[in-house]
Amino acid sequence: MSPRRTPSGGRVNRLRTIRFTFDGTAYTGHQGDTLASALLANGVSLFGRSFKYHRPRGVLTSGVDEPNALVTVLRGEVREPNIPATMVEIHDGLTAVSQNRFPSLAYDVSAVNQLGGKFISAGFYYKTFMGPVIGPLKGTRFWMLCEKIIRRAAGLGRAGHAPDPSRYERMNAFCDVLVVGSGPAGLAAAHEAAQSGAQVILAELDPCFGGSANWSGETIDGEPAATWASDVVGELKTHDNVRLLKRTTVWGYYDGNTLAAVERVSDHKDTPAKGAPRHRHWTIRARKVVLATGAFERPLVFPGNDRPGVMMASAAMRYANQYGVLPGEKIAVLANNDSAYRAMAALAKAGARIIAIADLRQDVSAACRKLANDAGAELLTGHAVISTEGGKKLSGVKLAPFSATSGVSTGNARDIGADCLIVSGGWSPTIHLASQAGARPVWSDDLQAFLPPETGKGWIGAGAFNGNFSTAEAISEGFAAGRNAAGQPALETTALPDIEPAPLDPNPAPVFEIKAKGKAFVDFQHDVTADDVRLAHLEGFVSVEHLKRYTTLGMATDQGKGSNVPGLAIMAEALGKPIPEVGTTRFRPPYAPVSVGALAAERFGDLKPERLTPMHDWHLENGATMYSAGLWFRPMIYGGPGETIEQAYVREAQATRETAGIVDVSTLGKIAVQGPDAAEFLDRVYSNVFSTLPVGKARYGLMLREDGLVFDDGTTWRLGEHDFLMTTTTANAGKVMQHLEYFLDVVWPDLKVHLTSVTDQWAGAAIGGPKAREILASCVTGTKVDNEALPFMGIVHGEISGAPVMICRLSFSGEMAFEVYSGAGHGTHVWEALIEAGRPFDMVSYGLEALGTMRIEKGHVTGAEIDGRTSARDLHLGWMLSKKKPFIGSAMMDREGLSASGRLELVGLISLDNRPLSGGAHIVEEVDAANPHGSLGHITAACFSPALGKYIALALVSGGKARYGKRAHISDPLRNRFGPVEIVSHHFFDPEGKRMHG
Amino acid sequence: MLITCPYCGPRDVSEFAYQGDGNRTRPDPASTDSEAWNAYVYDRLNPAGIHNEIWQHAGGCRVHLAVVRDTLTHEISSVRFAREHGTPTHSRRNHGAKA
Amino acid sequence: MGEQLSPLEPIFRPGSHGNFVDGVGVTLSEIAPGSIVQLAAWPGEEKKLMAAIGSVTGLKLADGAGAGASSDRYAAFGFAPGKFLVSDASEGLATTFAGKVAAATGTVTDLSHGRTAIRIAGPRSEWVLAKLFAVDFSLPAFSVGSGISTTHHDVFTQIQRSGPDSFDLYVFRSFARSFWKMLCHASDEVGYEVR
Ligand SMILES: [Zn+2]
Repeated sequence: MSPRRTPSGGRVNRLRTIRFTFDGTAYTGHQGDTLASALLANGVSLFGRSFKYHRPRGVLTSGVDEPNALVTVLRGEVREPNIPATMVEIHDGLTAVSQNRFPSLAYDVSAVNQLGGKFISAGFYYKTFMGPVIGPLKGTRFWMLCEKIIRRAAGLGRAGHAPDPSRYERMNAFCDVLVVGSGPAGLAAAHEAAQSGAQVILAELDPCFGGSANWSGETIDGEPAATWASDVVGELKTHDNVRLLKRTTVWGYYDGNTLAAVERVSDHKDTPAKGAPRHRHWTIRARKVVLATGAFERPLVFPGNDRPGVMMASAAMRYANQYGVLPGEKIAVLANNDSAYRAMAALAKAGARIIAIADLRQDVSAACRKLANDAGAELLTGHAVISTEGGKKLSGVKLAPFSATSGVSTGNARDIGADCLIVSGGWSPTIHLASQAGARPVWSDDLQAFLPPETGKGWIGAGAFNGNFSTAEAISEGFAAGRNAAGQPALETTALPDIEPAPLDPNPAPVFEIKAKGKAFVDFQHDVTADDVRLAHLEGFVSVEHLKRYTTLGMATDQGKGSNVPGLAIMAEALGKPIPEVGTTRFRPPYAPVSVGALAAERFGDLKPERLTPMHDWHLENGATMYSAGLWFRPMIYGGPGETIEQAYVREAQATRETAGIVDVSTLGKIAVQGPDAAEFLDRVYSNVFSTLPVGKARYGLMLREDGLVFDDGTTWRLGEHDFLMTTTTANAGKVMQHLEYFLDVVWPDLKVHLTSVTDQWAGAAIGGPKAREILASCVTGTKVDNEALPFMGIVHGEISGAPVMICRLSFSGEMAFEVYSGAGHGTHVWEALIEAGRPFDMVSYGLEALGTMRIEKGHVTGAEIDGRTSARDLHLGWMLSKKKPFIGSAMMDREGLSASGRLELVGLISLDNRPLSGGAHIVEEVDAANPHGSLGHITAACFSPALGKYIALALVSGGKARYGKRAHISDPLRNRFGPVEIVSHHFFDPEGKRMHG
Repeated sequence: MLITCPYCGPRDVSEFAYQGDGNRTRPDPASTDSEAWNAYVYDRLNPAGIHNEIWQHAGGCRVHLAVVRDTLTHEISSVRFAREHGTPTHSRRNHGAKA
Repeated sequence: MGEQLSPLEPIFRPGSHGNFVDGVGVTLSEIAPGSIVQLAAWPGEEKKLMAAIGSVTGLKLADGAGAGASSDRYAAFGFAPGKFLVSDASEGLATTFAGKVAAATGTVTDLSHGRTAIRIAGPRSEWVLAKLFAVDFSLPAFSVGSGISTTHHDVFTQIQRSGPDSFDLYVFRSFARSFWKMLCHASDEVGYEVR
């Protein structure tokens, strides 16, 4: 048996031994142990080093509020830092290490930081990293070096670099009543709500339900409280309308009664069940929430209060009663309230020796005196602990008479030997979630604590959360809250169970600090002392929000669960104001740290949503290098062996212009615009006229935004009198749809038009080149494709290899070209038939690079030029602005700024040094590499043009046309590329369009 | 935040796209009043409190909704189909957000 | 021409997968209807459109948002004001409706190739779907036959409850493979069978 494990008692299974390691040493514990309880049972008292001063630290608490005993859990290469040892369930193979120590926990070189005294005091980072403003080190890199060293010395655990292979999941849930916390109050509430038939979720952050019932040592109706709790849980399990979530921390309370929780599904297991996540993130929408989140016991602030062996009284009781572990053998007590006496009694019962009780109060009730007497402890009223002794482990404490009014000791000190000091500074209700939901806490002078307001809009509180700390109150309030939350009328009388023993007085003396010499910690995790708080005040910080940021009090991973109120009290005293006037900070999510994996869940890697065209697999099988365009995947090139990207696209573009090429255009946005007002609607949204378009023809259209700038372009096909098929650019498909829907819904609800995204209905193949028509003619049946049947911008219907197709003769490449649309499910079939038909003509398949090259040669614009700053005239598309009708953007497009001279206009560039140009490079009149300036504009797209045999680019250049034929230079200091270019028309190739008209 | 779509019922805010200030009125399309167009295109009310907003249930029925929301508390007091209720329920100040 | 090529084809692996030792929690299958058609009524014309749906499919749709019904051959449900999705095991439904829905009543849009229909059935269907969608799938909130529109990340999805523990999901074809992967991944935990 381990040195500190009691022979019996507690809720651990002594028959089941579990093996784990801490800092490389092998230990055993039992089923039901946390890492903290198992290590304490093994006599371990040193758990970690502190944040700034590297002081030795032990375990202060037994739960989620633990500030000191943070460990890193190792899973193979994956490190998870900053986990409270109190929240780690041990399992076979668990490997944990301590943090913030070098080279080892026991011998830490940075512990000399302690000797520096005020060296790392409040606002240290703000002061230090400014660097010296005078003196010899001013403006040198010396401080940057110091910063590195200091930042390394101060800190918590180190995150790893290995990718986390664990599975994380998200889950959505809806319920009538969410009960947060499963102590007596929560169980009573869940029970009542479940009885009424409501859908209930009960969330408990610990591995077992019952909360304080597991360690209070009380009896309920003659049974141990834990038995009562497991009976209630057993009954809840029989209800279909109840979902029980253990190991689940509700960490956020958001608008609309939406709560966020994280369930640690597999952390307590060596290997997760197949397919089970490590963490499951719950988003719970609850009609009503019952907050039964309990309360935290507060530490007292006194010199040496951080020494390993100092522990919260309630935590010590929990270790004894729930885990069968004695945190010490010779125990001293320091308290300002009655609750510590209950803890002391439990420890005495479990076999520890209680040496002395220092009670800060002069008057102590008879009930407490009796408990002290029964435990054989010396009771010293009006006494305080003014320091603690020992190195890495408590060996004794100094007791002295104490005045609660002055906060200082008033007489001679006395040393007593003790290996554990249990402390109680009163209780703070766990109001975090209510505060997140917007509740303003109310200060209670009696309880010396912030309480929640009576109820919130979406929640009802119960038990210790409300500041009612007895189990009887918890159960009675829980019943009432459960009924209320389920929409049931309140009962006039409720039969409540009998609870033993009777409650003690919950009100503490209003003392938070014992002022004496030595470092007295307020925030253990961030190493903030009482003197730091006072220093902040002396330096002029009066707002509690500023105090918090300046001292970093309450900003560590425990979010100040124990330190907020003592910190506030010390600040209030310094300001000479009562605590409620100083106010408290609002709690923000998360209530406790949440793994990033749980938040990201499945949305990364292979499970990220992606869009594939119908011919995707064909592209892969035929050597395409894929390129992600938004969520879509498109072929970039179909590279041959040893081919560079440039060689591949030049070959593809050249072959298309010489014979024929085919490209997958299925990603183009396609919107069905249907209804009797469809033509009128298109007239309003496009800058040019569509109502005159005959059925069976397509037209290129331009859309402006309301502010008169260009929005998108594409062709729209009139398939019927009331039936149009609009195409948009791939990138803007969603935006255009939303834009059109907005106008139909909000601005012109009287128009009879329906819009439907049919992007995925159609597979699109564009086939272009001098041989395109011949190829098409050889495989299309049911229609002719000659110039008469299928003129430029004409549409015909036919079949290819048995599949219905719709063919429109339009061209992006500048060649004689056709877009062949078929049902997406027939896309590959039709594509393969076209490839087959093209084989005798050496037709190539080409990718986005060749597509881009041919469009640059033709001077067609895309998203690179339609960049949200260009007008139609800037892009030489002024001819598309109808003067016959108003349209979206027409009122704003002629504004002064949009028709001013000197705007950037679309031009072509030819590289005069035969070197590549690249997008983003600036255009200047004269190169000044040392001091680049005088930009006339920039390159939007560049390529090697096989048609011209030159490197060319499209650019937006001030003055535009006026510069045709002139020389300029590109200036690209980032890539160190400078060189001469000639400014030309953007129509590089076949400006009359002879090729596409055939 | 939850928005109760009149068609789909209460849904998470992640299904909705904010589509701007619901107090704007588009001038007559043929209007050449540049002040009015400027106010429509650029001016937005930004009240601390009750606000008329347009939201689209983009991840659901795709309908645009006229939502009255308190920008301080996120409390939503009314959600209606925008197409049936072109004018806002909450009175607006004259002429945009210059105030 | 019949038979469409399924977008799921290369990753569709019939058989049992995931944690199925204690039985499969869900069964996943592709429905592959012959036709999927969207019908949309002009405001005030909804009844006429519903009557047309009734006359073609024999399905009687109740009033109210999301109302739907299904038979061996057909399924229909409302997914937006005045808008319905109708599927048919056979091809040609859009053409049939084009002859039945007057221009004054509404519009007919063929989506037979544009949407992929996936069925998830089994005792853990609600659990698996709750991982993907922020929608209450419990029977009281989502009755048999009715439909909804929702989104999983960027994947717009229309869902009809086809039985007490069976749901039919209609997703954009281009997302179908990605969505199927996510659905299988989400089903791992409960064990699933693909058929
Ligand atoms: Zn909706």
